[in-house]
Amino acid sequence: MNGIETRRLSTKVILWILLAAILVLYGFPFVYLLLTSFKTPSDAIAVPPSVLPNVWTLENYVTALAKDGVVPALINSVVTAVLSTLISLVLAVPAAYAVTRYRTPSGRVFVVAALVTRMVPTIAIGAPLVETMRTLGINDTSFALAIAHTTISLPLSIWLMASFFEAVPDELEEAAKVDGASRLGALWRVVLPVVSGGVAVTAIFAFLASWNEFLFALLLTSVRAQTTPIVIANFQTQFGLDWGAMTALAALYSIPVILLTLLLQRHIVAGLTLGAVKG
Amino acid sequence: MELRKTRGRTRTALFGTAVLAAGALVLSGCGAGGGGGDASSDELTVLVEGGGHAELQPIADLYKKETGTTVKLVELPYDGLYDRIQTELGSGSVSFDIAALDAIWLSAFADGVAPLDDLFTDDVKSDLFPGLVSEAQVGGKYVGMPIFTNSEILYYRTDLFEDAQNKADFEAKYGYPLAPPTTWDQYRDVAEFFTRDTDGDGTVDLYGTDVKGAVETEWLATVSQAGEEHMVLDPETGEVTIDDADHLAALDFYTSLLPYAPAGAAQLDWAGAQNLFYQGQLAMMRFWGHAYTQTPDDAPVKGKIGAAPMIGGPGGIAGVPGAWYLSVPTAGAKQEAAKKFIAFAYEHNDLSIDTSLGLVARISAFESQDGVAGKENYPAILETLNSPATHARPATPKWQEIVNTVLTPMLQKAVEPGADNAALLKDAKAQIEAIIK
Repeated sequence: MNGIETRRLSTKVILWILLAAILVLYGFPFVYLLLTSFKTPSDAIAVPPSVLPNVWTLENYVTALAKDGVVPALINSVVTAVLSTLISLVLAVPAAYAVTRYRTPSGRVFVVAALVTRMVPTIAIGAPLVETMRTLGINDTSFALAIAHTTISLPLSIWLMASFFEAVPDELEEAAKVDGASRLGALWRVVLPVVSGGVAVTAIFAFLASWNEFLFALLLTSVRAQTTPIVIANFQTQFGLDWGAMTALAALYSIPVILLTLLLQRHIVAGLTLGAVKG
Repeated sequence: MELRKTRGRTRTALFGTAVLAAGALVLSGCGAGGGGGDASSDELTVLVEGGGHAELQPIADLYKKETGTTVKLVELPYDGLYDRIQTELGSGSVSFDIAALDAIWLSAFADGVAPLDDLFTDDVKSDLFPGLVSEAQVGGKYVGMPIFTNSEILYYRTDLFEDAQNKADFEAKYGYPLAPPTTWDQYRDVAEFFTRDTDGDGTVDLYGTDVKGAVETEWLATVSQAGEEHMVLDPETGEVTIDDADHLAALDFYTSLLPYAPAGAAQLDWAGAQNLFYQGQLAMMRFWGHAYTQTPDDAPVKGKIGAAPMIGGPGGIAGVPGAWYLSVPTAGAKQEAAKKFIAFAYEHNDLSIDTSLGLVARISAFESQDGVAGKENYPAILETLNSPATHARPATPKWQEIVNTVLTPMLQKAVEPGADNAALLKDAKAQIEAIIK
């Protein structure tokens, strides 16, 4: 083994160690949550805590699922997140496309302005949103909550989609136009299939933003549209915290997004790469 | 060929998206939790925290049965409930008819809730703890009806206290019999006695007590035990009392227990202390009364826990009432119906005895369980709350801010080695004066 090979091997080993360290750092809280969900009530609050359960039990899952409102909240979370993702995409795709293709000064201002909305504290728009939704008579509906969630995900969606559209050469659309396609036709038939990975990435981010959102769900829902993050938080009361049941429901709530991410993993990687090589 | 495949995939994706959109739109109209439409006249919406939900459910069920009115209990997390009520009262448009308020929120929300003076008859007042009656009154009007109350009491390990060897050793060392302590001095003696290395490995594994640095209420109870009538400040005069002799005596006693408590007091909160006790690492714990019935089945101390009134200092036995109140927002559309339910809830307060928290507000409801097995915590709560030294926390809208920014940080510093308690209290006074000026 010569010097160059040795250096390459060392670099690889260091990278793998770094990768493993990062994986442990990110993964451990979730693994601990998962393991706690299988502990007995006393085991879950042991001092000092143990990583592995002394006795494995599904009791926490039974308790969590038996709690009032858990199943409706799971359904509400899915409905709200799907709806918010769709609204985000429907608005973000044409907006990002127009900004990247027309390249006007007002377009650039629009993109920056869209990002600025991300810097406004969520609580600051909470009260006006409550008032607006109530005036519209849609308070405590998944639709109202999805609209509120879109205010969070839309700016990021526009930015993400804009970076993906930037990476698509103009020549591709021009070729489609030569073949008789309109601008919208070219977007629909040529550009969107090319950036499908980017759309998947954007959809995932929008879905996650809604799936995990707490504050708007707290302010805008009561009984009918309450989502799971609120129900999870309800396990902590002023007089106690049911760690076991809370971790069980949190673990259950994580499964759909993990599956979704695994399912779309290929698109996500492709989408991230697409956004990274623009120009 | 490839292009056709891509188009085919796109069409499939579009079709799937359309189906999802249609389904989501249909479902989103009402949400999965129930039917659509606004609350009707025979329906009341009550915002509650988890504990309140458990307490009110049997009352709501009976109300539905007797009157036909559905009482929807909307459960929110503790901090979230405060944010939600604050947001809605601030906007002047509310989605609820009744809110369950923590005692310390009453002053902050007093301007947004309707007076309940007509519900506070002499009979009602005589069946409530004096601290609760005074706490319910803000600015000369009753702003909430207590629905249940808690108080810290003393928990102790019966297996340790009843052990013959422990009894003999304790009496030999301290000159009086081993029993659940009733005074500061006794508490310190017992805490010192039980702090030991039980397995002989050279490390202390049983502590006499805990010292909570991350929550303030236990120290406030100690302040009342010292004989202070105006803990932290006097809302009537605006005078900040936190640096007076009683507060200092309370802080000195509080921190004098540190040698008999596990390390990490600065970060120890309610949940942490409870865990230590359930794990068998503490001989005694001062904790909220409801916990008596909540020991996990697999806890090593299950079946070995006794309950006694909170300890007393120079001023006598004292705790801090931890009550929850039902209030009606002035912006609510069904104020009369809401008051009717609150009156009903007071009348049937005893229905909360057998809930998961098992707490009530009326003295008669507490007394009804005298001698009942499993309710040994009731006499302890009753005696603590009835003690003349027990006082409610000061009625100031700035209370939560004072707790978060002054009291808790001050306590966390006080439980560190070498802390100057008098200086800390003096600093705290200056900070509180700046907040309330």
